[in-house]
Amino acid sequence: MSNSNPNIAKPKRGVSLYSYSGEYGVTMTMEDMFADMHDMGAEGLEILANTHIDGYPEPTDAWVDNWFRLLDKYKIRPVEYGHWVDSRQYQGRELTTKESYDKLLRDIKIANRLGFTVMRTKLGVIDDDLTPVTNWREFIAMALPDAEKYNVRMCPEIHSPTVLKSKMVDDYVEFIEKQKTKHFGINIDFGVFQTNPMPMWEGQDLSTMKFSPVEDMVPLLPYTYACHAKFVNMSDDFVETTTPYDRIIELMIKHGWDGYLLSEYEGRNKDVPGYSSGQLRRQHILMKRLLGEE
Amino acid sequence: MLDKEYIQSRGFRNVVEDGKVIGFQFAFRSNYYRGVWLSQLRPATVIVDGETFSDEQVTWTIGGKTYSQAELAKYGDVHWALLEPAILTVRKPGGLTQGFHDLEVKYAYSCSYFPPAMDELMVAISSGPLARRLLLV
Repeated sequence: MSNSNPNIAKPKRGVSLYSYSGEYGVTMTMEDMFADMHDMGAEGLEILANTHIDGYPEPTDAWVDNWFRLLDKYKIRPVEYGHWVDSRQYQGRELTTKESYDKLLRDIKIANRLGFTVMRTKLGVIDDDLTPVTNWREFIAMALPDAEKYNVRMCPEIHSPTVLKSKMVDDYVEFIEKQKTKHFGINIDFGVFQTNPMPMWEGQDLSTMKFSPVEDMVPLLPYTYACHAKFVNMSDDFVETTTPYDRIIELMIKHGWDGYLLSEYEGRNKDVPGYSSGQLRRQHILMKRLLGEE
Repeated sequence: MLDKEYIQSRGFRNVVEDGKVIGFQFAFRSNYYRGVWLSQLRPATVIVDGETFSDEQVTWTIGGKTYSQAELAKYGDVHWALLEPAILTVRKPGGLTQGFHDLEVKYAYSCSYFPPAMDELMVAISSGPLARRLLLV
């Protein structure tokens, strides 16, 4: 169930509830998702605030009580709180710095109330390269004292088509170093390491797309507080056919990275009852083997 | 639990006001994976049995409150929860007849983490097959 040797620093297994998005509310309840994660020995989870918190952004005490009941019953840790700064929330203008900060602060407080210490802070973008809004430094800097007070780390997700060696990532690292902060970092989505075409996009031509060599993550690991273990296709012999999981996890173990790998299933048949769960189970067998569990 | 189809079977009925049937309504759940703020929504078009209704002919009821389509843009702090179907009420004097009807709804929402040009494209993507044949009792 848990890591075989807790003294060796290595990644831990978790699940993003996004994986169940084709079934949530239709064929699965919140408790069904907890039971499923527990069943595969996942130890942590990511929720999406705007998706999974009833009454968001003002959950009731009863909802919060049930949240902690589920965490306790299924032995799951609240790892990452997914939220958005929806810069184009209003048509025709971007959110101001103050509006963006206010949204951040509200989510920081909810994340803390629910026990999370990492936030997947999704920023609005201004172009096809997914360059974040120009005022991100201002509102993130405004929120740093709050993030410290409420013990959370705000982490934009580095997601394909962005690559790890890019101005965007350099800018984030420069900001972290300049602010000398432990409360802003990154979440690396494994889609950046894709090496083979996705089966649901027939004839996907990878030669026109940019991806990152796995070793590019090494200098970024000190700033990485969680990862999206993105996957789209697990074979029946427990291989993820698009992404080099073996090399990714090998390098993480070598460099002692001990954050959570949050499974994010983004493949086919998400609305077929049990399909995503079956893919998650295959992926967790893969990760257990690579992590040397059991 | 909700119907897998986006247009829900429960909630389809004629609407009576002051003793007159002024239109019909139905409930549909979001086809996005997260809840959205009302200001992210773009006006819906409803097509029933080939007849199209839009703009002021359609209102949204979310969280027990009813909004005109033009008003949606103002409500940046009202959240349409993922598991709460929105009720669309369509003005059509006399309403619909008892029996089967073909319903389709088209709408869109802004998505700030996609390139800005996608906001317009999202209309096409999200309008998808939100169609269903429902039975009016």
